[in-house]
Amino acid sequence: MKKLIAGSILLVSSSAALAVAPGGPDCGWGNMLFDGQSGLGPHFIASSTNGTSGNASFGMTSGTNGCSSDGTLTYGGSSLVSNMMDEFSEDVARGHGEALNAVAVSMGVEQADRALFAKVAHDNFNTIFPNENVTAQQVTASLNALMKADSRLAKYAV
Amino acid sequence: MPNGTEFFFAQQISVIKSMRSGIHQLGGFLFLLLASCIAEATSLDQEQTVFQQALQQLQQQVQQRQLWQHQEWLNLLHYDRDRSSPSGYTSAVDDARFFNAAGGATDPAAELLATLSALYRRDISGNAHAQCRFVARSHWLQKQLSIDAATLPEVACPDYSEWYSMVKAQQATLIFPTYHLNSPSSMFGHTLLRLDHSADAEASNWLSFAVNFGANTSAEDNSLFYAFKGLTGGYPGIFIVSPYFKKIQEYNRIEKRDIWEYPLNLTPAEVDRMVTHLWELKEVNFDYYFFDENCSYRLLELLEVARPGTELTDEFGVTAIPIDTVKAIERAGMIESRHFRPARITELAALIEMLSDREQTLMQQLAADPAIIESAAFTHLSDERRARIIDTAYRYQRYQQSGEARSDEQARNSHRLLTLLNSYSGTVQNPTVTVPSRPELGHHSRRVSMSLGERNNERFTEVALRMAFHSLEDNEEGFLRGAQINMANVQLRVADSGKFRLQQLDVIDIFSLTPRTRFFKPMSWKVYTGLERQITDGKDRLTAHVTAGWGASYSVAEDGLFYALATGRLEHNKGFSTRRLEPAAGIDSGFLWHFGKSTARLTLSGERFLNNHYRTRISYAQNFVVARNHSIKLTVGHNRNRDDRYSQFDLAYRYHF
Repeated sequence: MKKLIAGSILLVSSSAALAVAPGGPDCGWGNMLFDGQSGLGPHFIASSTNGTSGNASFGMTSGTNGCSSDGTLTYGGSSLVSNMMDEFSEDVARGHGEALNAVAVSMGVEQADRALFAKVAHDNFNTIFPNENVTAQQVTASLNALMKADSRLAKYAV
Repeated sequence: MPNGTEFFFAQQISVIKSMRSGIHQLGGFLFLLLASCIAEATSLDQEQTVFQQALQQLQQQVQQRQLWQHQEWLNLLHYDRDRSSPSGYTSAVDDARFFNAAGGATDPAAELLATLSALYRRDISGNAHAQCRFVARSHWLQKQLSIDAATLPEVACPDYSEWYSMVKAQQATLIFPTYHLNSPSSMFGHTLLRLDHSADAEASNWLSFAVNFGANTSAEDNSLFYAFKGLTGGYPGIFIVSPYFKKIQEYNRIEKRDIWEYPLNLTPAEVDRMVTHLWELKEVNFDYYFFDENCSYRLLELLEVARPGTELTDEFGVTAIPIDTVKAIERAGMIESRHFRPARITELAALIEMLSDREQTLMQQLAADPAIIESAAFTHLSDERRARIIDTAYRYQRYQQSGEARSDEQARNSHRLLTLLNSYSGTVQNPTVTVPSRPELGHHSRRVSMSLGERNNERFTEVALRMAFHSLEDNEEGFLRGAQINMANVQLRVADSGKFRLQQLDVIDIFSLTPRTRFFKPMSWKVYTGLERQITDGKDRLTAHVTAGWGASYSVAEDGLFYALATGRLEHNKGFSTRRLEPAAGIDSGFLWHFGKSTARLTLSGERFLNNHYRTRISYAQNFVVARNHSIKLTVGHNRNRDDRYSQFDLAYRYHF
C-alpha cells in the first residue's frame, strides 16, 4: 500500500531538477537569490523527503541565498552576515528585527547594548550599505569600524 | 550489592595507582629505563585485570537484571518490536557504526554487553572511543549500574565537546511549518525541533539550532528515480542539525509557509539527554518511510529519550501525520505555549490590505520605479502613509524577484527603495497579521462516514473510510482554506436490493484553490486518481481513472470562492465500445462558501471523451459541523452520461478519529 500510494503520487507529479543558485563566494547584496519555485513538480525532489543533500551536516552550513559561504558558520564572522544579508539589510533600514538581533548576538553584543547597536547600525545605513554591490565582508568591516568609534560598543569590535 | 562491589574496585584501583607512581619514582633513581618499562607493563596488567573484573561484575549485574529490556535502553537504540527477529526486536537504525556488537541491530542484550565492554576499552582513545561516540548510552549505563567513573578510562572527546558547547541547548521548541500543497511531501506539513539556549532566547532564536530528520539524498540519481525512492523507503534517513534561520528562510520565505512554534516544557536535564543522544545519531542512517517512519515519528522518539516514561510512538504504527504527532505531544502535556511566525507573503498580504486602492496603485508603481517618490501624488501624503507604502513596495518587489537573479537595474532600484525605507523608518509599524486558528485544533485525520441516499428511486446505504486528511467542505478550523488532500478513501455501497459493492476508491485526491488577487497570481489545480463507478450505456461500471485540472480561483466577498479549471482525464471503462482506455477533456467549475460552522459547495462540471462519450453534472453539497470531529453532510446532484440521466441524493454522518 505504501508503495502503491507513493507510486501514484509520483505519477501525477512532474519532476524537475533543482536549479543551482548562482553567486560566488563573495557576491554582493544585489546578487542574493532566494531560490525556490512554486507550482506542482518543481522543488519536488528536495522537499519530497524533507531531505537534504550533500555532506551530512551537524551544525555546519552553507548559504541558501545564492552567496556561497564556506563550511562552518562562525558566529561573528562575515559568513553569518553573508547568510542573512538580505534580512539584515532590511532590519538595519527599519532599525529593528530578528536578523539585526542575531548579528548583534553573534558579535557578542550583550543584551543591554543591543538597542544601541541597532540604533548605530540604523543611523549609519548609508555607510553600511552604500550601494547595491556591497559585499558581506564590507558590511562586516563597516560594522566593526562603527562599533570602534562608539565608546560603549568599542569593546565588541574586533 | 553494586555499591559494595564498586567500593572494592575503587579501593584496589587506587592501591594500584599509588603503586604505579611509587615504581616510577624508584625507576628514576635505580633502574634502567627498560626495567621501568617492564614494571609499568606489569602494573598495567594488574590494572587491566582489575578493570576486567569490574567489567565482569557489571556484566553479571546486567544479566541478572536483564537490563536490555529496559524501555530506556530500547529507546536509545531505536529498537522496534519485530516478530521475525529472534530477540523480538530490530533497530530502526540501519548503520553498523551505531552498534558495538556485531549483531547489535537485532540483539539488545548483546549490544548492551558490548557497549559496556567498549566503554572500558583502553586500546582506543579520543573521538573514536565509545565514551565519546555514545554519550547518552554511556551516561545511562553509568547511572543504571552505578558505575564508578574512576574505573572507566579517562577519555577526552574534543569533537563532542566542541559541538556540545556550540549547541548550548537548555530548552526545546517543537516547530510545525504548515501545509504546503505544491510539494507532495509537504502537503501534510512537517515537524522539526529547535534547541534554544535559555535566558536570551528572545534575542537569539535565529541562532538556535534546528533538528531535522529527513531522507539523505546525496546520491546523484536521475530525478524521477530519486523521487520514487524518497517516498518508498529507498533512501536512508538521517538527522541534520542546522541554524534555525536557515529554516525560516526555507519555509517562511522560499516555500511561503507560516510556521507554528511550540515551546516545550522539557527541563534542561531532559534537553541535555536529548542532545547527548542526538550526538550518537550524527551521520547515522535510519530506515526512512514517508508515511510512518518519517520526520515526525523520529522526533517523537527523541522526546521519548528526553523524558523517560513518556509513550508517544505507539499510536503511530500505520501513519505518522505531522499534525497528529503535534497533538500527541500536546496530550503528553509537553507543550507550554504557542507562537505564530507568519510567512513573508502573509505579512505582505496583510500590509497590502492596509492600503487604500489609490495607495495600492502607488505602491505598485513605486515597486517598479522608485523615482515615483518625487511625484505629486506621493508628496501629498503624510509621512506615515509614505512610510507604509515604501515598506510595502520594498517587500512586494522582493517577493516578485524571489527565485530569480536581479538585473543590475532591479538591484539598484531595490537598494534605492531600502534607502528610502531607512529614511522614513521612524514611522514604520509592523504589519498586523491575523493569527489563524491553530492547526492542532483541527479535526482528526481519519474519517468514517455512514450515509443514506437514493439514486433514481433506488435507496442505498453507504459506508466510507478515509485514512487522511481534509476535504474542501470539512470543518475548516485549523486547516488552510481551499486546500483539500484526501488519501486512501474507500466507499462501499449496499443497494436496497442487498447488493454490496465498491462504489469508489480514491488513491489520492488533491484540490488546491488559492485565490488570485491584484498582486498575487497563484494557479489552482487538482489531481485525482482511483476507481469510481460511472453509468455507461445503461450499465453501472467500475472505472479506473486519472484526472487532473489546472485553472484559477477568485475570492467573492470575504467567505466565497469561485473557481474554474480545465481538466484532462484518462479513464479505463469496459463500457467503452472501441477502446477501453479513453482520454477526455473537460471543465470543472464551482463555488465554495464558508458560513462559519457550515460550508456549501456548488459544482458544475463535464467532460467529453475522444470517442464522443460525454458527461455533465451539477451538484450541491452542504456540510454542517456539529462538533470538532462530527458533521452532517447533505448532497444532491444530477448527472447526464450521454443517454443516461440520473439524480442522486444522500445524507451522511461523518466522524473524524
